[in-house]
Amino acid sequence: MDFALSDELLELQQAVRAFARREIAPVAAALDRDPRFPWPTLRRMGEMGLLGVLTPEAYGGLGLGHLAYAVLLEEVAAADASHATIASVTNGLPQAMILRHGTEVQRRRWLPRLASGEWIGAFCLTEAHAGSDAAALRTRAVPVDGGYRLRGSKAWITSGGEAHLYLVLARTDPTTEAGARGITAFVVERDAPGLSFGAPERKLGQHAAITAGAVLDDVFVPSDQRLGAEGQGFVLAMDALDGGRVGIAAQALGIGRAALDAALAHAGERRAFGRPIREFQGVAFRLADVALRLDAARLLTHRAAWALDRAARATKEAAMAKLAASEASVDACDAAIQVLGAYGYSADYPVERYWRDARVTTIYEGTSEIQRVVIARQLHREHGRSVPEPVT
Amino acid sequence: MIIVTYVKHVPDAEARLSTEGGRIAVDGASFALDGMDEYGVEQAVRWKEAGIAREVVAVALGPAAAETALRTALALGADRAVLIETDDDLDPVAQATPLADAVRRAGADVLFVGGKQADWDSAALGPAVAEALGWPLCDWAIELRVEGTTLEAVHDVDDGVEAWSAPLPAVVTTQQGLNEPRYPTLPNIMKAKRKPFEHVALAGVAARTSTLAAALPSRARRGVRLEGDPAAVAADLVRRLRDEAKAL
Repeated sequence: MDFALSDELLELQQAVRAFARREIAPVAAALDRDPRFPWPTLRRMGEMGLLGVLTPEAYGGLGLGHLAYAVLLEEVAAADASHATIASVTNGLPQAMILRHGTEVQRRRWLPRLASGEWIGAFCLTEAHAGSDAAALRTRAVPVDGGYRLRGSKAWITSGGEAHLYLVLARTDPTTEAGARGITAFVVERDAPGLSFGAPERKLGQHAAITAGAVLDDVFVPSDQRLGAEGQGFVLAMDALDGGRVGIAAQALGIGRAALDAALAHAGERRAFGRPIREFQGVAFRLADVALRLDAARLLTHRAAWALDRAARATKEAAMAKLAASEASVDACDAAIQVLGAYGYSADYPVERYWRDARVTTIYEGTSEIQRVVIARQLHREHGRSVPEPVT
Repeated sequence: MIIVTYVKHVPDAEARLSTEGGRIAVDGASFALDGMDEYGVEQAVRWKEAGIAREVVAVALGPAAAETALRTALALGADRAVLIETDDDLDPVAQATPLADAVRRAGADVLFVGGKQADWDSAALGPAVAEALGWPLCDWAIELRVEGTTLEAVHDVDDGVEAWSAPLPAVVTTQQGLNEPRYPTLPNIMKAKRKPFEHVALAGVAARTSTLAAALPSRARRGVRLEGDPAAVAADLVRRLRDEAKAL
């Protein structure tokens, strides 16, 4: 067993840390105050290779595994969470799904543009009434000559209106019995007639990761833009979620680490009652606990990523990583606000932004409650496997 | 044109150094490509991209760990790397001989060296190699242009800047202002591992200087406290900041 990252990965991590500090961190506060989709920095992230980490070199990506992806995404998130969210979606959902389930023609058509960052990819699963219960989605895809017509609306689309490519889940079989098996995946390009977007949502944090609703008003999608077979869409989406959760775990770790760094710096400089406040146990123990939780979550995240590099699914590991990292991150940000006191509450310091940015990590890509459901379900499956059937 | 760009492996700017037994202890410090050398690598790669240079060779002289700095140069766009390997502490004049040999072996027309080296802050290496090669030296360049077989430059001198030109080959020392060095991107870091990398053992060069002891500069503060009439103190403070500290 070896807990050290490889020399190659350490080198890539250093390069991304330096890049993120110089290019991304300096624009984070301004983008939070005046939300804009951060195209200039995304272009540079694309040149850097950060928007096609998992996509093989043959399709213009870096061809790295999930462990490298988690390590590099943490560095981006430590500089700014919004950039990490946009990167996490385009890398982990549309690209990962097209790579795994697309035909060779589809891969050649879309992956190079996404991996280079020329195009940003988005994922349209959630609807206003179907969040955690995603299989309840109602957007319809009706077969017509040469393809399908999509009609319905999608909610909370990261990069909605900004992205060039939308991976849309829609129902091809409306019968109740079909349920999740009636859902099909489609690739819809931004200029498709009938596709429009609502105004960006006003959110607590992650302001630069523009989120918007999408309306599909009889959007024609040719058959060659269907991903996988009819009725396979939900399975495809669930299949991508393990990787997606590792991405959000890594992002949460990055935000939490930034908060811990800010708290440590302040606790060393700020003096009260004649000494730096880090010398008071009330502060020291709180920061020790934050470091403990972040480190434990990092180990879970790296383990889940490592498992995904060896098998197509790592459902329990990914859910544990996502749950632990998102909750540790929110706790780290909360602690940082407390340690900084009034400065922590001030918008002139970054820690209140870290908290606002981190808060959604326990909600999106499966809430903490859903992660517990997933973990518990896997526990029962594994338990069933190891325990012999009762004799009757 | 073939360009050799010298890269030095130095503790990075954030490294905390200490002394141990009269030597600088660098264990645990992270090392990086010397910032002053990056301008030379960038210039060489730009000339390669513009079709002015045919090949860019990054050369380092130092311990096996200097491979990291050379890998960075390869990731920034150098075509191949040569590491002249030695664990000896050589002063710049002693380094000049093997470095000049490497420049001749590469068939280079231009050698770029950082204006000074971040480890000992010496600005001696560029002039020493120029002397060893018998080539003209343009130090502290801030603008460079090739016109036929002539190198034209603008470089810093004590009282301003000066236009400089000489027929190639030449040695140029580089600094901030010459260009804006790029980042090594992840694809290029990965490709750098597949570029040619040559290790050469250092032979026949002996250090002519030796380090007797090393100490960190002490940082005692003068801690002058000005007291008295506020207006007089303010005037005194301004005078001190302007005339003594030269801060104004």
